[in-house]
Parts: sequence; C-alpha cells; structure tokens
Amino acid sequence: MSRRILVIGEPSAGGHLSGASLEAVGAALRLGGGAASVAGFAAGSTAAALAADFARVGVAEVYLTEEPRLDSAPLAGFVRAVATAIAESKPDVVLVGGTTFGRDFTGRCAALWNAAAATGVTEVTESDGGLRFRRPVFGGRATETREVEGGRAVLALRPHAFPLPAEAPVASKPHPIPLPELPPVLLAPHRAGVEAVTTGSGPALGDASIVVSGGRGLRAPEHFHLVEELAASLGAAVGASRAVTDAGWRPTSFQVGQTGRAVSPQLYVAVGISGAIQHIVGMISSRVIVAINSDASAPIFKVADYGLVGDLFQIVPALTSEVKRVRGIA
Amino acid sequence: MEIVVCVKPVPEAETRLRVATDGTALDPEAVKFVLTGYDESAVEQALLLKESVPGSKVHAISYGPAPRTEEVLRAAIALGCDQATWIDSGAAPATDPVDVARALAAAIRPVPHDLVLLGKQAGDDEEGVVAAALGELLEVPDFGFVVDLRWDAAGSRFKFRRASEAGLESWEAPTPLVVGLQQAWNDPRTAKLPAILKSRKAPIAKVTAAARSAEAARSRSVKFELPAPRTGAKLIEFKTPQEAAEKLVKVLREEAKVFP
Ligand SMILES: Cc1cc2nc3c(=O)[nH]c(=O)nc-3n(C[C@H](O)[C@H](O)[C@H](O)COP(=O)(O)OP(=O)(O)OC[C@H]3O[C@@H](n4cnc5c(N)ncnc54)[C@H](O)[C@@H]3O)c2cc1C
Ligand SMILES: Nc1ncnc2c1ncn2[C@@H]1O[C@H](COP(=O)(O)O)[C@@H](O)[C@H]1O
Repeated sequence: MSRRILVIGEPSAGGHLSGASLEAVGAALRLGGGAASVAGFAAGSTAAALAADFARVGVAEVYLTEEPRLDSAPLAGFVRAVATAIAESKPDVVLVGGTTFGRDFTGRCAALWNAAAATGVTEVTESDGGLRFRRPVFGGRATETREVEGGRAVLALRPHAFPLPAEAPVASKPHPIPLPELPPVLLAPHRAGVEAVTTGSGPALGDASIVVSGGRGLRAPEHFHLVEELAASLGAAVGASRAVTDAGWRPTSFQVGQTGRAVSPQLYVAVGISGAIQHIVGMISSRVIVAINSDASAPIFKVADYGLVGDLFQIVPALTSEVKRVRGIA
Repeated sequence: MEIVVCVKPVPEAETRLRVATDGTALDPEAVKFVLTGYDESAVEQALLLKESVPGSKVHAISYGPAPRTEEVLRAAIALGCDQATWIDSGAAPATDPVDVARALAAAIRPVPHDLVLLGKQAGDDEEGVVAAALGELLEVPDFGFVVDLRWDAAGSRFKFRRASEAGLESWEAPTPLVVGLQQAWNDPRTAKLPAILKSRKAPIAKVTAAARSAEAARSRSVKFELPAPRTGAKLIEFKTPQEAAEKLVKVLREEAKVFP
C-alpha cells in the first residue's frame, strides 16, 4: 500500500534543510514507496530555500508558508500552518527530525490532527497494511515496538538512525499555504534572543553521534582539556560524570546519567569514569562504548565494548594525536 | 499564581526490567514506582516559583492506576505541593502520550492554571510529547526543553530560556503557559520525614478518566525487547600509549565502524 507522507522541513543555522529533516526525507522515500508519495512542508523566511533543498533530494511538492513572523513565534503558529497543509495534502503519516524543534512539534501536531504520536523512533516498517515503529525506552535499557491503530501518525525520528537520501534533483512544485488566523494567546510569547551554547564548538550533547565524557579520574579541572581535545579531534560532544559537575569543573549541562542527560551516540568514550549505575543508565544505549580507566575492576568495563586499562594522562593525548593523524587533521 | 504540575509514576532507574510473558509490556510487578528525573525538577521549579510569588498554590496532577499514582502524588505533597488530583486510569492506563495529554487536559481545564509544568520527558517512555500535546489541547502556548524559568512581577510575564539546536533561546511570555522542563539546573529538594508522615493522611481528589476519543488514531505497544546483556569489554593489550591509541583507532574504524 502506498502511503502519503508529509515531511516537515526544519531550517538549520545556515537556512538550509537540517540533517535531521533530510534523514526524515530518506525515511519517507523508503516507507512511501517513492518520491511521488512524499511531500514537504516549509515555513518562515527561509521557506523557499528549504523547498529547493527538498527538490534536490527528489521531493517536488512542497507546501510553503512564507511568513517571517513564524521565525521567532511559538511553535503553535507553525503547527496551525501545517494543519492547513495536512488538510490539502491528506498524508497518512507526518515525519519530522527528532530535534528539540521536532519533538515539541510532534505533540502539538498530533493533538491538533487527532493522530498517534511518538518520538525517538529508530525504525518504521509496514506490517499487514499497518504501521509499526521501534524506539528505545528506559534510557535505552529496552526497545519498544508500537503499532498505529486508525492510520494517522506523527513520528519524530531519532537523529542518525535513518540514512540521508541520495541527490535526485526534480523541478520544485510549491503550494503556498496562508498562515491561518491564530488565537492571540498562541502568539503572545516573544523570543528575546538566542545565545550560542557554551559547550564549546562541538555538537550538542543530545544529538552528537560521538560523545567523549570525562570523570573524576582527571583529578582536577585544569586537566579536563584532555577530554575536550580528544572530543574535538573526533568531532564529538563533551560530556561529564556527576563527580565532575558536582565539583564545578564543568556546568551541569555536561552531565550524563540519571540526573543529567541520556545520550545514545554511535560511539561513547568514558575517560576516568568508574561506571556507577546512575551514570550507566544515561549512556548504555550508545552503540559502541569505549572505557579508559586505570582500574581493571572498574564497573565501566562490564558495559564497555572496548577497554583500555591504563593511565588516562598517557593514553588520551596519544589517542588524540592518532585520531588527528588518521583523519588528516594538523 | 496558580501552578499545576503533572507528575508520572515511573519505575526507579535502578530497577531491573523484566518483560511480561506475552511480551507486550514490562512486568509491572517487577518494578517500584517513584517520582523521578525531569518530574522532580518540575516539582522543584513549581515550589521555587511558589516561594518567589506570594499567594501562589501548587496543584499536582497525575494520571494512572492504583496504587502507584497516589503514591507519587503523596511524594509531591511531602515535597510541598498544596493540592493533588489523581486521574484514575483504571487497570489499563493509556500508553499513547496524546491520550495521556487528553486525560490531563480534561482535569486541568476546570481548575485555575496560570502555569502548567511538566517534565521534558518521562523516565520510562521518554516521549516528550505530553507537554506539547497538552498545550494544544488547552489552547495555550507550550515550550519544551526549558532550562530555567522565573516570574517577572513588574512585567507580569515569565522569562525563561529553552535549549535548542541553535543554542539557548530567551523567551518572555504572559500567563497562561505550558512548560516542559529539562533538568540539570538545580538539585531538587528531598522531603523531610515529618512531611512524609503528614502526606500519608493528606486528601487526594480522585477523578475518573473520561472515555478515550473515538475518532483519534493512537498507537499501542506490541512488543518489548531487552538488549542482549553486554558481555564485558574486549580489553586491548598494549605496551606503550601509542600502541594503545593505534590499536583502539584501528578496531573503531575497521571492526566497530564508528568513524571513517
Ligand atoms: C541519586 C543519584 C543520582 C546520580 N546521578 C548521576 C548522574 O546523572 N550521572 C553521573 O555520572 N553520576 C550520578 N550519580 C553519581 C554516581 O553514583 C557516581 O558517584 C559518579 O558517577 C562517579 O563519577 P566518576 O566515575 O567520575 O568518579 P569515580 O567513581 O570517583 O571514578 C573515577 C574513576 O577514574 C579512574 N581513574 C583515576 N585515575 C585515573 C587515571 N590516571 N587514569 C585512568 N583512570 C583513572 C578510577 O579508577 C575510577 O574508576 C548519582 C548518584 C546518586 C546517588
Ligand atoms: N501519566 C501521567 N500523569 C501525569 N503527568 C504525566 C503523565 N505522563 C506524562 N506526564 C507528564 O508529561 C511529561 C512528559 O512525558 P512523556 O511525553 O510521556 O515523555 C512527564 O515528565 C510528566 O510531567
């Protein structure tokens, strides 16, 4: 059965379609059985550029709300515009990248459209004409399979879980969608500004495909740069154990674990972290875990895939140089 | 200010998970339910606002079955919430997050609510859907991933920051507002023993969840799987740090294929 799918376009900082949105196109092309069943949605001042990006990966039909007010308005307005696009395009499924934007979008859109909703989705498949999807739960300690009853679903896809679509340029067929009249209460909040995050130049912890975290084994805040340099060489986000954030070496926004963030990157490197259960629950769903620790009996080695038993002060700088060497970074 | 805080009974992080025999649920007998993670932060934020805005009240609301739902509400009262409502789901609570939001919206509509606070995501299903769905159902703006929130009395509005891909967005918003809180900006308080004892006798209003909407689509769990237990690390032998680095990079590229 051919499903109609609407993919929500989110602009990245440069005004182009974000990686997460492109992954959603990749997922849609597979699920819908080809480009003809996939449409895009884009809004705000960069909508036309996003439509061009959609066309580059084979999505010709794009519903557009070129309304600059949506750039800094609450998501409620954006969702109302999507509802109009849904009424015209009549999709069975709405897909969105699982960024902070996509996750806030999902609940609001599903409530408005009376659809099923899920986030963190890692797999979507057909089953007897129904739709099935999988997603990690309990911090990755279990995987749940859910089935949609009654069609309509809004799914936010976990970043990095779906492949990017191939380049397949087509001529864009834009459908302008006016911004519907909104209850004033929905437009009352006002964005006063955006400050870049202070976690260095690397990617955000929650969405990074590689995370390097440091623990008390680093002994003092002035040694934490060892972890940051390794992360930079890998293009990774930087995390920390609670011992580090409690001691004030790094802000709590770095903390991975039960009372910090749960992360599930492709690669997690734990440096000088013992592996307390409260830390483990925050990173166990990572695909590959590497531990560097001088104590061979540290519990982190029970959950790691690869272990280096030794002194981090010697190993980490050597590792940073080696990663730079193979990646051709000076 | 009238503050509503939504809390969900969630299995303790340390509990071992067990899949029920039919495979479609996690065995509820196997777990102890508590108030955790982001919801603890939401309660803490509600209490901080109450302390900073004279005449405020905090109303904790939870949807779910007996006895776990009442237990987390008592925990919320012990922490300092003034009032609690239990939305009785019956033995088979809805698992679709929008259904949960519908049940919460029905209970919140008739009570005063200048601010509705939720966790960014629940510790078990991790949907992060309920806050936004609730915003839509109450026709109130909602913001998830909020990292701090304060009331600007002079300007009669909230000022808060929200984490996004772009960085930290600063927002200003009048009441009413729905907020999903991201944790890790404060250490939630713990309940004192006398308050815990007192909370055992506190009244909890009980309402029955309305029948689920007939025209809405929803999803249901058909399978739970636990990952194969990790067997322990493959330890890489080395004599020098350089050798350690070279061997590790080689396995990560060639065996684990985690970077090119
Ligand atoms: C309610 C609660 C919630 C919590 N939430 C969290 C959470 O969210 N996240 C979290 O991380 N923790 C959390 N904790 C704390 C947790 O229990 C641990 O205390 C913490 O994770 C320990 O941090 P660590 O591994 O950095 O420090 P340690 O346990 O002190 O481990 C340091 C490690 O470094 C190694 N080491 C020392 N020197 C070297 C060297 N030269 N080279 C290599 N290795 C070396 C040591 O062998 C040791 O294994 C929580 C605790 C509680 C009670
Ligand atoms: N059964 C429930 N009762 C009350 N609040 C809930 C319930 N389920 C979810 N919530 C709230 O919604 C937040 C997000 O949950 P979720 O969208 O399921 O990840 C939680 O942190 C709670 O604040």
